[in-house]
Amino acid sequence: MEVSKKLVNDLAPQKFGKKGVIWTTFLVIVSIVGIIAYIDQVRKGQIVTNMNDYALWGIYISNFVFFVATSFVGAVTVAVLRLTKNTWRTPVVRIAEIISVAAIIMAGLTIMIDMGRPDRLMNLFIHGRMQSPIIWDVIIIPTYIAICLLLLYFPLLPDLAILKKHFSKINPKLSKWYGRLSLNWTGNARQTKIQLNSIQIIAILTIPAGFMLQTIDAWLFATLFRVGWDSTNMGGYFITGAAVAGIGALVAVVYVVRKAYKLENYITEFHFDKLGKFLALACLLYLYFNINEYLIPEFTSKKEEVTHMNLLITGQFAPLFWFVQVGGLIVPIVALFFKKGRKPLPMFFIGLLVVVGSWWKRFLIVTPTLLHPFLPVQGVPESWHHYFPSVHEWLITIATLAMALLIITALVRYLPVIPIKRTADEQELFETEKKSKS
Amino acid sequence: MKNMLKYRFVFLALVGVFLCSGSNSVYAQNAKKHSVRMKAYYTKIMDSVSFFKVTAFSRIDKENVDISNIELTFYNELDGEKIKLGTATTDMHGECKFVLKNLNEIKPDSTNTYNIDILFKGNDTYKKASKSVSFKDASITAKIITKDSTNYVSATLKDIATDSVLSDRLLNVQVQRLFRSLPIGKEFNSTDENGTVVATIPDGIPGVNRNLTFEVVLKDSDDYGTVMALVNAPLGTPIKDESTFDERTMWSPRDKTPLFLLIFPNLLTFGIWGIIIYLIINLFKISKSKI
Repeated sequence: MEVSKKLVNDLAPQKFGKKGVIWTTFLVIVSIVGIIAYIDQVRKGQIVTNMNDYALWGIYISNFVFFVATSFVGAVTVAVLRLTKNTWRTPVVRIAEIISVAAIIMAGLTIMIDMGRPDRLMNLFIHGRMQSPIIWDVIIIPTYIAICLLLLYFPLLPDLAILKKHFSKINPKLSKWYGRLSLNWTGNARQTKIQLNSIQIIAILTIPAGFMLQTIDAWLFATLFRVGWDSTNMGGYFITGAAVAGIGALVAVVYVVRKAYKLENYITEFHFDKLGKFLALACLLYLYFNINEYLIPEFTSKKEEVTHMNLLITGQFAPLFWFVQVGGLIVPIVALFFKKGRKPLPMFFIGLLVVVGSWWKRFLIVTPTLLHPFLPVQGVPESWHHYFPSVHEWLITIATLAMALLIITALVRYLPVIPIKRTADEQELFETEKKSKS
Repeated sequence: MKNMLKYRFVFLALVGVFLCSGSNSVYAQNAKKHSVRMKAYYTKIMDSVSFFKVTAFSRIDKENVDISNIELTFYNELDGEKIKLGTATTDMHGECKFVLKNLNEIKPDSTNTYNIDILFKGNDTYKKASKSVSFKDASITAKIITKDSTNYVSATLKDIATDSVLSDRLLNVQVQRLFRSLPIGKEFNSTDENGTVVATIPDGIPGVNRNLTFEVVLKDSDDYGTVMALVNAPLGTPIKDESTFDERTMWSPRDKTPLFLLIFPNLLTFGIWGIIIYLIINLFKISKSKI
């Protein structure tokens, strides 16, 4: 089938305008500042951070958990919606795949940033013990990176061939690149069969791999006997939390891309409505796990649990805790119950709120528990009972977020954010159905 | 021309710096050396080795400082003649141990006294120093005896040269434990006119496979140094060794990983990577299926 010129013109990657250039420059500058801060951290050691004997995991691990959670969007949106044959997914799956790739790559980098001696990275593989969940994490992250890249690449092949043709006269150099990446795609029966078969396999593979990734991340905490972590609830709690973070990020990015590329005809209010309902479902599930996570310790009132809960509910972390619960979960659920709340602009703000809430939620999972160890050291400095990231930690963390956005921006710039071939196929199907009805 | 003059000044300045920095090392040659103090102890373990334990230290700025990495030479002094036995080097705590595999390696003087000289030659920091140790050879014969269902450690102390028993000497009788030996018997076990002490072995001392090791020690004697006899006996209360050292546990090193943790994660890992490799091969197949 010949893809219409209008469709290709609409969906082919476009050069950034002034705003796009400013945005990219801003991300590059923030990333460079973070890299400089990181070099300084490597030179001086982790003394430049505010981590201490109590808060031995700080903002870096919170950020790592956030990235891992966000990368789950690929498994949720692409694989689940594909296997359940939800056709409305078409305009949003590519963006979900892009977010997944960016987030999981940055998760891998962030965990290295947390290492005091990154030059000893290989020791994890050489001396790692299978008994440690950290080694499971070391294994699953590169595995999930490979899966996410394949999940993005296979469906791209027909579109890359289309772009090769589209750019052959406008930009021959770019056309050459698309040609190489399209792997001689002609759309013949054999290629299509292999491609569809592969996509089906990845879709199935992504779900258990995504669940493993989130569960391992949860077990990193749950296997540590620490108050606030030692819970059998953690696996499900992390998976639903990841779905919330991932779909929230997807909603926000979809809105920006739609606006920037003027894709209102392709990503319609109908899609936002569907995404809104999907996000509401994820939030409700996560709320359920939150109730489990906080209500049972509060009800059973073990001494250590009460100390921990007081720290969250009324103590030094209370403002953050209530912001995360109310702002990041309850407000979105309530707003998404209404049709008006599922319109693009409200959805964008809800998506942002959910993402910010999800980020701070990871901070609340990691930090308060660490500040109250089981075996408190005698006569420790008062400062050990508090943790707030240092300037280095903030600069590096913000840079990792900027780098994730930079990867998304670069992929959005050079890849079609809406699958061209699939959209063309669906349009043709729609036309055929329309004709047959009339 | 002016530039050349500048270069000369620079050259002279460099030579000056070089010479000045050299003068420091010259000065170091004349620096005040510290004196070395040594403590030396002789220990004999019956039916085993004898050794000298030496500690070297110096008083610097009103503090005792351990002297590490200095070589001490051990001599057997006999009729004014010194026979070299060997050397030992101090560790970071200023300690070293010189082992005599057999006491026959050294000779006593006419009074049956062994005289050992320990010499330090001196170096840039420390003056030369020496220490002498003199001792006679003694032996302890220890055995377990049982009377009326009670077990005892019986030990006899003898001067080997005169083949006479030594009476009225304090011997420590103790049983070896993990960190420090546990004394048994009376508070002070003094040898009787037969040179013998007898100490009661209390019941209920735990031992792996019931085995207990008893020590009888003549400690830091001015005449004989330290002499120790060891005797093993299956008189302890058996304890079950609950160590999981040889088992595959969650806290073992990587070569003793529990099998289920080796099998299932590796099955999953290799299974998933097998599929990933299959998918990458599919990419090649697509690339080759042009027509």
